[in-house]
Amino acid sequence: MSQLELRDIRKTYTGALDETLKGINIDIASGEFLTLVGPSGCGKSTLMNSIAGLESITGGSIVVNGRDISGMEPKDRDIAMVFQSYALYPTMSVRENIAFGLKIRGMPKEEIRQEVERVADLLQISPLLDKKPARLSGGQQQRVAMGRALARRPKIYLFDEPLSNLDAKLRVEMRTEIKKLHQRLRTTIVYVTHDQIEAMTLADRIAVLKDGELQQLGTPKEVYDTPENLFVASFMGSPSMSFIEVAIERSEAGLSVTVEGSDGRTLALPVPAYLESWAGKRVVLGIRPEHISQPDDQKTDHPMVTSGRFKVEVTEPTGPDVLAVIRLNDTDVQCRLDAEHPVNWGEEADLMFDMRKVVFFDPESEKRIRPQ
Amino acid sequence: MTDVIRTGFRPSRIAIYGVLLLACLVYLIPLIVMLITSFKTPMDIRTGNLLALPTDWTVVGWTKAWSEACTGVQCNGVSGYFWNSFKMTVPAVLISTLLGAFNGYVLSKWKFKGSDLMFGMLLFGCFVPFQVVLLPMAATLGKLGLANTTAGLVLVHVIYGVAFTTLFFRNYYVAIPDALVKAARLDGAGFFTIFFRILLPMSTPIFMVSLIWQFTQIWNDFLFGVVFASGDSQPITVALNNLVNTSTGVKEYNVDMAAAMIAALPTLVVYIVAGKYFIRGLTAGSVKG
Amino acid sequence: MEHTQSRPAGVARAPSGLMDGLQRWLPKLVVAPTFILIGIGIYGYMLWTGVLSFTNSSFLPSYDFVGLAQYAKLMESERWLVASRNLAIFGGLFIGICLLIGVVLAIFLDQRIRQEGAIRTIYLYPMALSMIVTGTVWRWILNPRLGLEKLMHDWGWTSFSFDWLVNSDFAIYTIVMAAVWQASGFVMALFLAGLRGVDSSIIRAARVDGASLPVIYWKIILPSLRPVFFSSVMVLAHIAIKSFDLVMAMTAGGPGYSTDLPAVFMYAHTFTRGQMGLGSASAMLMLGAILALLVPYLYSELREKRHD
Ligand SMILES: Nc1ncnc2c1ncn2[C@@H]1O[C@H](COP(=O)(O)OP(=O)(O)O)[C@@H](O)[C@H]1O
Ligand SMILES: [Mg+2]
Repeated sequence: MSQLELRDIRKTYTGALDETLKGINIDIASGEFLTLVGPSGCGKSTLMNSIAGLESITGGSIVVNGRDISGMEPKDRDIAMVFQSYALYPTMSVRENIAFGLKIRGMPKEEIRQEVERVADLLQISPLLDKKPARLSGGQQQRVAMGRALARRPKIYLFDEPLSNLDAKLRVEMRTEIKKLHQRLRTTIVYVTHDQIEAMTLADRIAVLKDGELQQLGTPKEVYDTPENLFVASFMGSPSMSFIEVAIERSEAGLSVTVEGSDGRTLALPVPAYLESWAGKRVVLGIRPEHISQPDDQKTDHPMVTSGRFKVEVTEPTGPDVLAVIRLNDTDVQCRLDAEHPVNWGEEADLMFDMRKVVFFDPESEKRIRPQ
Repeated sequence: MTDVIRTGFRPSRIAIYGVLLLACLVYLIPLIVMLITSFKTPMDIRTGNLLALPTDWTVVGWTKAWSEACTGVQCNGVSGYFWNSFKMTVPAVLISTLLGAFNGYVLSKWKFKGSDLMFGMLLFGCFVPFQVVLLPMAATLGKLGLANTTAGLVLVHVIYGVAFTTLFFRNYYVAIPDALVKAARLDGAGFFTIFFRILLPMSTPIFMVSLIWQFTQIWNDFLFGVVFASGDSQPITVALNNLVNTSTGVKEYNVDMAAAMIAALPTLVVYIVAGKYFIRGLTAGSVKG
Repeated sequence: MEHTQSRPAGVARAPSGLMDGLQRWLPKLVVAPTFILIGIGIYGYMLWTGVLSFTNSSFLPSYDFVGLAQYAKLMESERWLVASRNLAIFGGLFIGICLLIGVVLAIFLDQRIRQEGAIRTIYLYPMALSMIVTGTVWRWILNPRLGLEKLMHDWGWTSFSFDWLVNSDFAIYTIVMAAVWQASGFVMALFLAGLRGVDSSIIRAARVDGASLPVIYWKIILPSLRPVFFSSVMVLAHIAIKSFDLVMAMTAGGPGYSTDLPAVFMYAHTFTRGQMGLGSASAMLMLGAILALLVPYLYSELREKRHD
């Protein structure tokens, strides 16, 4: 059952020339964790503010449990939001911060006390209750901000880049914690981030946004393996997918594309049969770093796997593996090599291309070419 | 950046201290002269010089300035005008600061279509020379029956002070993240609750700046006082000017200086007690004049 | 942040009622009084004065329009020309000297001076005084018989004579002195704040490159304080054009009308000499002078903002 339905949401800021949101349609199920990703300025915060009622929308409707709430005041929507800057009330203690919304809603004192304690236990911030926000670390402030949202037990939680102000290590820790919290409470969450790893790890489903338009909506796996277009393909995954312009060729062995290394050596890569109708035309081949690696006997037999020798231009050890850059058809292509068998830059290496998971895009429309 | 520059040149440091101290003296001398003279007898003034200490210290100048000196045709000293200034300054300062606080809150956190235009109008209003409004204002106060009253002066000071107070508060609140207001709205707080519970407790510094700025501006004003008030409703600055320019009898400079001290004391005290906020007001106001 | 005011078409109004409607109007309601006061008290009156400047109003406002006659009269008035020339002399000297003193004191005070706070307090206190008080004191100090002259005579310089206050050729300079005394500390404070904001790594880099201290100040630090310089000029010019109190307290425009400034001229004609039309015309010219300064300033300010 869908709990939050966004129907053709449109938003134009007063005085702005362009629409910031250009008709967003998303259904979010009860208990679902939806992450909203996209580059900065694509309208993520605008969408969140619109759902919360902090901004008026100029078209479409927001429906919660079958009821249109588009015109309601924020306070009547029963939605809580956690902000990137935490937005803790600086003159109030942690306890007062968490209790503020409950007090305004006229909850009896004793109940407020119990609720604050429940939330404080849940987030392990009980020892901080009497401190002022300025005395807390970034991570603690973040917890308090979540506590304030949890205390009201709203129908829907909105998180707008809640971890962006934390340092890398703390961000990973808090990410895990948010995930645990969600698994425990099973609340409906819309979570905004511009960090695609965060989006992948947390989400039940991911919505990718660009310039106020929804690019793709799907599970992390769908979005990663079968990106709808070049933008999603390049945005999701780090290091990102490499794109090589190639022409589809037909031979008796089947369809293939030819890539040329920096030294002029060429290699024919097998491509799937669904590209039959593209034979003789140019397409964009999208290949992720993990699809190019050192030869592995178990895979080399597969008809969709080929090997060739290429010059390594740059190497970047990351610890578990080494990222290497080779040049194919005059574009840089990233490969993921084994850290145990290092290759130095400038040397040649045998590389195995696993073509089972590569994707192809129409260079005109930039859309992925789907298997028929 | 001082730490970088300071390293190693001794002789010039003596010159620097010399210049700075000389400047101190220049700034202080008028105050010293004013004080010394106010405690002298008229005889002393004629025989001694500006910086000579009084031979007999006397407060005659002060008592005379307070209750006997002639300010034009009346000879009741400046005491009445001193209180006039208070009666005018206190309400005008409070009203303009309060209005400014609310305006600043709206113009930063509850923008609406046209609110930027209003802000621009206020900004411009800070620069307008008051000479262009004097005559119509005088006519209006006359029509309203407020001519030559303290209430009239309060109204005038509120109108021409609110542009500044609004700018102070608006600039202060603009720096406070909007997310705070958003969070409070989601928590169910309305317009006034957000102001009184969230923003007001954070506003002490800017309230101090606004109160002190307005106090010095209004207390020190002469133009509005001389144009819109007469006789019994005049503020101290106008009375002081009248006293100094009254040319009946022998000029008593000790009385002049005592009266000047009386006019200067309230703002000087404020400056000494809360100078930090005064300077902040000046530098904040400087961008707009 | 924009509050929800427009409602998307076709969405039923949520049943939250009257209170929410009121909430929506509250911000506008709260600023309305100020809007009205400013609208009338500044913009309305400005227009009104503009209208009066085209009439032959004398002791009372009248609405017999005489076109530009008052402006023409103003241009022919010897007294107005003196007032304008005085403003040029006073404004130029006042702004120039204040800037010079302010910059020098600020640089000196920025050298890790002991008791900096106390010194700053002394430099700035005149700004807390009324110009009437300042004028009264300086008038006494510059008193031709008992003031500075007597002090110098007592100290042995018997030939010293100083009668600028009553000399119509020099009286305007005594006003410059008092005004500089009052406002230069303020300019110092502005520049000091500016100096404190200069990024010290730039200076470190310059030192590493071998630049000497005066060169660093002249070529790097002062140019970076351009905005402070402009806002100081704005404030000082504003004080100069409006200054009225100081002249009234020191010379009341005298001797004769040798120390008249436009503000004094405007006051005298409008309120004591019964020439409201002429007074209004002079006020409009003062507004024009401020606009001539303000418009380029605001323009450059806004442009810089956009480039940030
Ligand atoms: N209050 C506003 N008024 C006008 N334009 C705005 C406002 N807030 C955001 N925008 C514009 O809308 C676009 C989307 O902004 P935002 O939703 O904050 O992006 P994101 O959160 O994805 O980084 C940006 O181009 C931004 O400049
Ligand atoms: Mg955002």
